[in-house]
Amino acid sequence: MSYEEKLKNYRTAPFDARFPNTNQTRNCYQNYLDYHRCNKALSAKNQDPAPCQWYHRVYKSLCPISWVQKWDGQLEAGTFPGKI
Amino acid sequence: MAHQAHAYHMVDPSPWPLTGAVAALLLTSGTAIWMHFNSLVLMTLGLVLLLLTMYQWWRDIIREGTFQGHHTPPVQKGLRYGMILFITSEVFFFLGFFWAFYHSSLAPTPELGGCWPPTGITTLDPFEVPLLNTAVLLASGVTVTWAHHSIMEGQRKQAIQSLTLTILLGFYFTFLQAMEYFEAPFTIADGVYGSTFFVATGFHGLHVIIGSTFLAVCLLRQVQFHFTSEHHFGFEAAAWYWHFVDVVWLFLYISIYWWGS
Repeated sequence: MSYEEKLKNYRTAPFDARFPNTNQTRNCYQNYLDYHRCNKALSAKNQDPAPCQWYHRVYKSLCPISWVQKWDGQLEAGTFPGKI
Repeated sequence: MAHQAHAYHMVDPSPWPLTGAVAALLLTSGTAIWMHFNSLVLMTLGLVLLLLTMYQWWRDIIREGTFQGHHTPPVQKGLRYGMILFITSEVFFFLGFFWAFYHSSLAPTPELGGCWPPTGITTLDPFEVPLLNTAVLLASGVTVTWAHHSIMEGQRKQAIQSLTLTILLGFYFTFLQAMEYFEAPFTIADGVYGSTFFVATGFHGLHVIIGSTFLAVCLLRQVQFHFTSEHHFGFEAAAWYWHFVDVVWLFLYISIYWWGS
């Protein structure tokens, strides 16, 4: 399945075996990180960052809005503690 | 004319348990008052009373055991059980702080950057002063064992020398650790890293000071001929406590300084 098809068929975040438990914090956080890392990596190689939209969809589905706002604010201010 | 027909020690009435309890009350309430109403009076009073209680209670025990002969073999056995149980309780005390450390470091939260050490924390190099501290405490474990054997073999001078050396090594550790605390690039207020680091190593340092004091008392007693080659339980208790402090450091070093860096 190409990434365009995957994105077109997206309804909500699928089961991720890396995060099997009720506490899905890490699932949200990891996809947030992966989205920004993907963007950074593909842009550095001058490639189309479209595949990164998958991570974007997942974290938008999973993460509390306040968390995303907080992290986006930190990224802007340069104080985001995660490794991008 | 009546005398006891058993080998146990029926202790004479003593005021020190009461003064100790009052000291505990003053210390606890005093600390709360200090934190909320900026007054040190109650806490200082509690501290003074505690120190007086400890001095007089343990002085009385030395009088009862060394000068009055009340510490028969069964009594000494009870004292041994007591020290072992106390040290065991201290093990559980430290277990709590290790639990706290591993809770936070094994699954670091997004607030920390999802990593350990957390983002922004520059840890201490485990192979610099912390390694020296490890060597110092291990060496002190050797010297305290040397002191024990000297006492058992009736070698008075060597016992005094090795016990003094043990205490000096203890002071050296405390001095080095104090320097580290002063120079550290992070404080107790620096997130959960700072909290776990300084609370765990801080309580350990306090126990080093307590252990050094215990050994120093033993040195004074050795100089004053209190110990015999067969009977020197005070020293043994101090040595057990010292080994316990050493072992706690080893766990601290491996977990917080080395793995946690």
